[in-house]
Amino acid sequence: MKKVEMEINGQRMFGAVAKSGTTTWFSLNGEVWTVEAEGRASRGGSKAGALDPSVVKAPMPGKIVKVFVQLGTEVQVGDTLVVMEAMKMEYTLKASASAKVEEIQCVAGQQVTLGSVLVKLKVESGKNS
Amino acid sequence: MRRIQTVAIANRGEVAVRIIHACRELGIRTVLLHSEADISTRAYRMADARICIGPAATVESYLSIERSVNGALAGKADAVHPGFGFLSENADFAQAVADAGMIFIGPKPASIRAVGDKIAAKKTIAQAKAPSVPGYMGEDQRVETLVEEAAKIGFPVIVKAAAGGGGRGMKVIRSRDEAVEQIASAQREGLAAFGSSIVFLEKYLDRAKHIEFQIFGDSGGEVSYLFERECTVQRRHQKIIEEALSPALTPELRRAMGETAVRLAQSADYQGAGTVEFLLQDGHFYFLEMNTRLQVEHPVTEMVLGIDLVKAQIMNAAHEFRVWPQESLVAHGHAIEARIYAENPYMGGMPSTGKILGVEWPEGPGRRFETGIEAGDEVTPYYDSMIAKVIVWDETRLRAIKKMKATLAESLVLGVHTNIPFVREMISHPEFIDGSMTTQFVGKHFPEGLRPRERSAIEKEFEKRASQAVSPAETNFDGSAGRSGSPQTSPWFTGGSWSNI
Repeated sequence: MKKVEMEINGQRMFGAVAKSGTTTWFSLNGEVWTVEAEGRASRGGSKAGALDPSVVKAPMPGKIVKVFVQLGTEVQVGDTLVVMEAMKMEYTLKASASAKVEEIQCVAGQQVTLGSVLVKLKVESGKNS
Repeated sequence: MRRIQTVAIANRGEVAVRIIHACRELGIRTVLLHSEADISTRAYRMADARICIGPAATVESYLSIERSVNGALAGKADAVHPGFGFLSENADFAQAVADAGMIFIGPKPASIRAVGDKIAAKKTIAQAKAPSVPGYMGEDQRVETLVEEAAKIGFPVIVKAAAGGGGRGMKVIRSRDEAVEQIASAQREGLAAFGSSIVFLEKYLDRAKHIEFQIFGDSGGEVSYLFERECTVQRRHQKIIEEALSPALTPELRRAMGETAVRLAQSADYQGAGTVEFLLQDGHFYFLEMNTRLQVEHPVTEMVLGIDLVKAQIMNAAHEFRVWPQESLVAHGHAIEARIYAENPYMGGMPSTGKILGVEWPEGPGRRFETGIEAGDEVTPYYDSMIAKVIVWDETRLRAIKKMKATLAESLVLGVHTNIPFVREMISHPEFIDGSMTTQFVGKHFPEGLRPRERSAIEKEFEKRASQAVSPAETNFDGSAGRSGSPQTSPWFTGGSWSNI
């Protein structure tokens, strides 16, 4: 970690920067954000890419507690797909679009890494939220 | 009666460090009982001796009575401090420690059973004629029965793991539709975290404050109450911000609640530090639970009273302590604690794991930092995500809030995301500042945590300049080099000055 001191509009500001692999971490005035080597900044720091509703990936490393859907299950926005656990807290992954479950790539008890694909959905066209 | 020479610490993280500090000051040797996953931690480096009791999984290490007792014996300990969480409220563990010829630093097993088990405690407090929240605590633990009982109580209902704590194994059931899923979830979390799937139900008070009373009983049978802490700011029943004293109590209410807490402790022949938790709504208080251990948020009580609860626990266990007389206890000023969790506040509090690239806490008057991690340490997914506590003290509540804001603004943690930006938002909210917040505070005002926002012009410029300070060669953190951080001699990079941003 390297501490960085700067003057902005006459005001002194203190921050820090550190690099780990392809990720650079910035901290300024209590805010922390990361930038990936390809240049895409993300305050969330997510490598999991939650934007595509048809691919549900593990947003954190952890254990699969329960899979709530089966192949072919029709899900609505907000329906529970998978429950994960990390740091002793359960985290619920929900459908972000109306869809049909096409693939399930995890089972209860399995330890998964960040970004692992857990469930693939076929999103119903026109109903995407 | 005998002196304690070696304390085994059956815990990890910041509380293990806290206990080591207390032991060092008392001239006591420490043995850390740790898992394989906790070798790269501050407590491991600080302890006088270390014994690995098992793998990362808690059931095979920190939750194993047998391994913990054997580890303590192997470390030639004459006393065991359980910290909080894990086995700290397990009467069987307290008994096993005593049976092995060591002192358990905490209440007697019988006291833990009488007040610590949440179901038994409800019965004890009913006998003491203290008000409690309507609920179900029957032995019939079938999900169908629990759903029926929940409906009888009337939604919203909260389901809690009987052996739980720290927000784990607790779920709010808002309607019959979600009852089965929430009950099953609480049972699973209870089993995973505490080894028991027994749950109970109670009416969920939806505009209450969480007020808890610290009590302490000495080996002579005297019990005093060390005033209250307000821990109303919670998310998913996990406390985030705690303070002493509460801005919500009148002196009359304080005395009534404190005396209720003492009555409960006395009825259980309680020794050592304990906490009686209440919910306060519309001027009425309801007993919630008693925690038969040191509490995470004990520092705020220490700060306003000028005492050391951990040293008191140890000395009391050695029969070398008399509790502070009630009339001598006067709170001074105001203290606030923020729990720092390794999580991403911009992604709904998602746990964040990884290697700590850098960490720095801004020292100053009335600031206290309790942490178990240093640069180079790994935050793993196996344990609780609390990596540090920031505690401030000042003369008034408003000044303490301002000090907390300034302290958090200067606190640095790189390598994992933390809730520091979230805490700063919460303590800036008018409802927190005027002290009127309820346990709904986070859910009402920050339902999704923090919304991701675009970086400001200043942040973008900072990013550009700061990038010059790191080239891949010098800043790739070299884990093998220990905890030294950047190899350059000056920690500061001067990015120059510019204006008109």
